[in-house]
Amino acid sequence: MKQEIVLVGLNHCTAPVAIRELITFPGNENGDTTKKFLSTKGVVEAIVISTCNRSEVLLVVDEEPHITKQIIKLISDVHGVPAESFSNFLYLKRGQEAVHHVFRVASSLDSMVLGEPQILGQVKDGYRRATYVSATGPILNRLMHKAFFTAKRVRNETGVALAAVSVAYVAVELAKKILGDLKSACVLLLGAGEMAELAARHLAGHVTNPPIVLNRTLENACSLANRLNGRADTLDTLNHYLLEADVVITSTGSCESLIQQDQVEKIMKKRRYRPLFLIDIALPRDVEPTVNELDGVYLYNIDDLQTIAAENLTERRQEAMSAEKIVEEETAKFMEWTLSLSCTPTLVAIRNRLEEIRRSELARSNGKLSNLTPDQREAVEIITRSIVNKIAHYPMSFLKKTRSRSKQSLYLDVAQKLFALGSETEVSAKEGDDREKKRRDET
Amino acid sequence: MELTFFQAALIFYLAATVGYVVLLFTSSLRTASISSTCCFIGLGVHALSFIHRAVVYGFFPLGTYFDALSFLAWLIVGLFILLERRLSVPVLGAVAAPLAAGMMLLGATFSYQTRGPIVPILHSWWLPLHVVFALAGNAVFALMAVGGILYIFQEWLIKGKRIGRLHRLLPSLETLDKMNRHGLPLGFCLMTIGILSGALWANSAWGQYWSWDPKETWSLITWFTYAAMVHQRIVLGWRGKKAAVLAIIGFVLVMFTFVGASTLLGGHHSISGPSVGASQT
Repeated sequence: MKQEIVLVGLNHCTAPVAIRELITFPGNENGDTTKKFLSTKGVVEAIVISTCNRSEVLLVVDEEPHITKQIIKLISDVHGVPAESFSNFLYLKRGQEAVHHVFRVASSLDSMVLGEPQILGQVKDGYRRATYVSATGPILNRLMHKAFFTAKRVRNETGVALAAVSVAYVAVELAKKILGDLKSACVLLLGAGEMAELAARHLAGHVTNPPIVLNRTLENACSLANRLNGRADTLDTLNHYLLEADVVITSTGSCESLIQQDQVEKIMKKRRYRPLFLIDIALPRDVEPTVNELDGVYLYNIDDLQTIAAENLTERRQEAMSAEKIVEEETAKFMEWTLSLSCTPTLVAIRNRLEEIRRSELARSNGKLSNLTPDQREAVEIITRSIVNKIAHYPMSFLKKTRSRSKQSLYLDVAQKLFALGSETEVSAKEGDDREKKRRDET
Repeated sequence: MELTFFQAALIFYLAATVGYVVLLFTSSLRTASISSTCCFIGLGVHALSFIHRAVVYGFFPLGTYFDALSFLAWLIVGLFILLERRLSVPVLGAVAAPLAAGMMLLGATFSYQTRGPIVPILHSWWLPLHVVFALAGNAVFALMAVGGILYIFQEWLIKGKRIGRLHRLLPSLETLDKMNRHGLPLGFCLMTIGILSGALWANSAWGQYWSWDPKETWSLITWFTYAAMVHQRIVLGWRGKKAAVLAIIGFVLVMFTFVGASTLLGGHHSISGPSVGASQT
């Protein structure tokens, strides 16, 4: 019986949020949901991958006519929703298509935000949960390891995850390029707006010092400072805090500019020209644009940051093309391996058949060989074995090297007939798997 | 055989230069590591060339411009490799490697000696002391200038909002300024020791500490320039772009003092070329 990799799932491209919220495979923390799929008839291996934008079941199945229907039914049972409500949004991928898809997902080429790094961790989680309940076997184990390997290659060899694509992240990256290590940096917020809070939260992951919040009304400043674990003060103290700050985020509703060129010029001298990074996300702007011309002062407004984020996204898209090539390459390699896997049982059977012939022939001549010394007997063993091996070598390597799937199944069929193997291959299929497992462990 | 090691090292540095230029255009990390390996091998081969020269020479092979420039190139590459390891800034090589290769090519335009020094004055233990310290100072200033060039470039990118691949490839302004911050006192100390040891050598050889030959005069000018830089940095807090520009100007002055002053203006440091030997008696 032939085994096949099957993938059923939905993601942000095929399904609206309402459906994605519905299908999340709950209760899989210890792999229990994965186990349910595994107990379906015909399913040999299973992994459930669930992230905010996708839910997928990856299976290895024996050839069963109605397997997909069973899977969809099980998905509907697990979630307690009728199959009709979501089955239209599902995609079904088999064999090479499925492998290709898994590799793309792990490499973050199929993500909503191209190249975002979290997806790999989520795929790893899904795999780990499947291993809790021993739901993976030789095929999915290898598939997942190759998926992680592909993701690593994509990460190292292309720039698909390099450039920042959100405004807040662009600001953080810029701050790093100006100030180096941000740990000891001091962040100053002018205005208690939502945008400023968002940017400050992004920075907070890199900065150890508590941020300072300045606002016209101290009350609002205090409430934001509390949320950010920072300090609060009124706007009158701006000049004092500008001496301390390294990164300033302004987002007040003020109509005239709060920070002027001559003011910053004086402050820079007092700061001994320690670099100052100003991020102006207020509209109208809080900082006079000419401030950027001062030595050691770097001013970016919201438009600048958005332009950079957009440019970076274009860059990621270009890099994605070389990433797709890597995925294609790895998919081809994996498919080659599955081919060799499908011929293994036949190869084992041929070997067994030849060995069986050798033994029975030796046994028949036992009478004539009885007066041989143990040394001579061993020599006979060695000779016969090497004859068998030599005869088997060419046909076997021929079967192994065949790349095309249709041709291979034809050749395997012929080989089985030539050696009169018939139903024995199925018996030895399990043996083949074991051997494969051993081989995998060794590598 | 005379120049095999020298040429091999030069080829490695040039190969590294090509690699670093490719890095500038592609951001390929593999190219960076290959180039870094080239520099490393080049450094090793280059060291062999000194050993070979020392054996031929029978003494420290530092008496001619050929050898001195070659040694300066070796120090620059060595210092670059150290910095690259510590700060992981391979892109420094895009300036440092061609700079080292350029020093060697410049050195190759001077003749080299195949025998020991004819002038007995160069057969003194003051030679390695004076030359090694002076050249180590020069190498530090060279790397500071490399950092300065990259600083000005990176700042131009950030100020002009040209945030792309090159911006990400270049180190942060802080890292580049750090090179200046740490390099300045170190280079200044090395140069001071170099000049003092030279004066002591002059006293023991000619009975006078200072004789105002062109190189001495220019090295004093250079010394004052760097002293001013140290002052501006410490007292007025000059940093960033100003410090970067000064580092580049300073290094131009260093190179003029090192090569230009004696070859163009003469004096007892003219130890190479047709008029071999210290001229002062």
